[in-house]
Amino acid sequence: MRQLTVAAMAAITMLAASAGLAGCASEGSSSSVSATPAGGGSGSASAAAASCSNSAIQSQLYAKSTLTVATDKPVYPPWFVNNKPTNGQGYESAVAYAVAAQLGFKPSQVTWAYEPFDNSYAPGTKKFDFDINEISYSTQRAQAVTFSDSYYDVQQALVALKSSPIVTKHSPADLKTYIYGDQVGTTSLQFINSQIQPTHTPKVFETLNDVKQALQTKQIAALVTDTPTAQFISSSEIPGSVMVAQFPSTGEHYGLLFSKGNPLVTCVNKALATLKSNGTLAKLTTQYLKIYTSVPTIQP
Amino acid sequence: MEAQRLPEQGLPDLSARRSRLLGDSSRRGLLLSTTSTVVVLVALVAIFLLAPGSAEVRHTFFNPTDMWQALVGDPQAGYYSVGEALWLNIRMFVVAEILILIAGLFVAVIRQSTGPVLLPLRVVTTVYVDVARGVPLILIIFAIGFGAPALRLTVISDQSAAVYGVAALVISYSAYVSEVYRAGINSVHRSQVAAARSLGLSQWAAMRYVILPQAIRTIIPPLLNDFISLQKDTALVGLLGAIEANKAAELYSDTVFNYSSYVVAAILFLILTIPLARFTDHLIRRDQARRLAGAVQ
Amino acid sequence: MTGPADAPRAAAASQALRIEGLRKSFGPHEVLRGVDLAVAAHEVICLIGASGSGKSTLLRCVNLLERIDAGTIWLDGQEITRPGVNENAVRRHIGIVFQSFNLFPHMTVERNVTLAPVKVLGLSRAEAASQAAELLDRFGLGEKRADYPDRLSGGQQQRVAIVRALAMRPRLMLLDEVTSALDPELVADVLDVIRELAEGGMTMLIATHEMGFARDIASRVCFLADGEIVEQAPPDRLFSEPSDERTQRFLRRIVDAGRM
Repeated sequence: MRQLTVAAMAAITMLAASAGLAGCASEGSSSSVSATPAGGGSGSASAAAASCSNSAIQSQLYAKSTLTVATDKPVYPPWFVNNKPTNGQGYESAVAYAVAAQLGFKPSQVTWAYEPFDNSYAPGTKKFDFDINEISYSTQRAQAVTFSDSYYDVQQALVALKSSPIVTKHSPADLKTYIYGDQVGTTSLQFINSQIQPTHTPKVFETLNDVKQALQTKQIAALVTDTPTAQFISSSEIPGSVMVAQFPSTGEHYGLLFSKGNPLVTCVNKALATLKSNGTLAKLTTQYLKIYTSVPTIQP
Repeated sequence: MEAQRLPEQGLPDLSARRSRLLGDSSRRGLLLSTTSTVVVLVALVAIFLLAPGSAEVRHTFFNPTDMWQALVGDPQAGYYSVGEALWLNIRMFVVAEILILIAGLFVAVIRQSTGPVLLPLRVVTTVYVDVARGVPLILIIFAIGFGAPALRLTVISDQSAAVYGVAALVISYSAYVSEVYRAGINSVHRSQVAAARSLGLSQWAAMRYVILPQAIRTIIPPLLNDFISLQKDTALVGLLGAIEANKAAELYSDTVFNYSSYVVAAILFLILTIPLARFTDHLIRRDQARRLAGAVQ
Repeated sequence: MTGPADAPRAAAASQALRIEGLRKSFGPHEVLRGVDLAVAAHEVICLIGASGSGKSTLLRCVNLLERIDAGTIWLDGQEITRPGVNENAVRRHIGIVFQSFNLFPHMTVERNVTLAPVKVLGLSRAEAASQAAELLDRFGLGEKRADYPDRLSGGQQQRVAIVRALAMRPRLMLLDEVTSALDPELVADVLDVIRELAEGGMTMLIATHEMGFARDIASRVCFLADGEIVEQAPPDRLFSEPSDERTQRFLRRIVDAGRM
């Protein structure tokens, strides 16, 4: 029967195609789903990666002879300057180039890629070696990606308009009464809800610009973000605003983001350790993050 | 259905072949189509399960633990319940739909009018429909959601993100819905207008008692279609900071680095929209049956 | 009763309907090219003519559904084609029934009949309902009151359409080929209704193909061709001794087709 023949042929073609696609394993895909928390990088079992010389790590790179670093668009001070990661200015840009230098790359061998935050933790092969974008480490997040060691320890801070009551009234009880705003994807929301515990639900915005806008139009009483960003916003970006205070550290830190199980993290951690011990990170912190000890710390 | 034997001079094969093509056994046809459908589905599932990245994708998108956590929420950990957030979507689209149906009808009736007195209104509504349909909804949401507070007017600038979102949705959708109404009004045969006017009914009375009731009956399926679309577009209000289901899913995802929350949100939206879609089909079938029953002369 | 087309103007006031020099075009196509007609009260005028001769257009011009290009129409001595006239008010007094019935499908028979009396004439629902009941009973449709049009046969629908027009108590009834869309066995019932209206003295303008019927009830038969009334006369004279050649040709065709 003609109809049966056609149907049978279609079925066979389908099965053959699916078998073919399945059998054709794509090269180099990191497909393991391990539940091992890879936060510290100290547990990387591959003892064979002893050398971190430039030639030794070539096989771990996304693109040969190049260090591909990803970040978002647009990017803000004090982490980047003039929205141009290539100029080496801003804390994260400088750290990236410093790490690259430790791994034996010249600045001209560093390429920047654009990776929106929402995509950075998607499964599958990444189009970069690591992503630097003020991404905080958490054990849950470490199930999806691999983090390097800390390159910056974070504290959360408050920015408000000078006219807002929060400037003078910020006892823990007072803090609960305000409407806060923060940017999606940052850990600020978690901080607000777990530490401050306000009575009104905080507002969450897509971009930092939207949060700043909301502050200026008085939709929110204060925004919560990390101290360096807060300090930059209040001093340069929003007229009439002030960084009210910062909160004590909760152990939060930023790490470089790698695709899960990427062996390059070992050598990057070594680089970071070197940069810490030789004072480079401290110097960059002072240069770009300008944290004055006079910023008051208040209790949430 | 056995065909009659054709005369010998004709094409003797035709009857047998015809019964084969037209399906002499409906049960065999059903078996055939079922088998082929199952085969295709199995093939697709096989491709999904056998792909190299399958385990990772399943964990990142379809992880039951994450789906449950996202559904239930944990504000202290930085994310809200997707299920509870859906309630905001529901409230938004119910309120929006009511306003849209009213505003759309108003615009449609104005545009269909012919009197000279209403000319300025006709011009205004035509411009409105063109602009509201031409500008992407997301831009309208931004314009209102960020523009209104910036104006610093007393009542207008003090509303919540959801209110601005609903306003934007109403502005955008009323334009589309007004066109649906117009299509419905124009689909009512001119003879109905003639009959109504001939009885002495004014243009408005004819519209109200004769045209609109018939028009609305015709356009209920496309109106329901737009309603389903509206339900999903409420997700865009999350861009203004309102914690609706999609936004809650995004919060979870960005906090935990797992996309399963989006799948939960999708499933919840399906639970909302699929019954409505089936109900629409039921209405269409019932309306057709009624029309065909009346087609006896 | 005969009313020659050139009646003196003094008689205009006593005439139910008077049309003078009516012209109507649709785009480049001139359908009516100067129609003159006078209808006295209680007269029944039958319009006959080939398709496209303008019968329907003429009727639709009389009740102002179509805007005329030239000419004047008087209803009971009042000029209804004056600019600024309230068309809705005029249409209250003219009932029209169409070939395709045009009942409102979303309303019951009763509501179809009571809608305009309530909304336009201001009758109360009860008054309108009892009037509707009386009319429907009179024409054998009493049982169908609560039915929707799709449950009625074509003949019943057409009779309801006539009742609907009558419920407005019109001075003049216009009937536009009201049996042309009906199966032959249903035609008789509708014709009976029209006959009853004529006997009751209703002034009527009827466009029809039913020559036998026209012969029966018409006071005058007008033959339309080339956009004007070519000949008009009492039915006996027009059908047996048509004076114009076009009329003769038309009637001959009808006879040949076995319609007479």
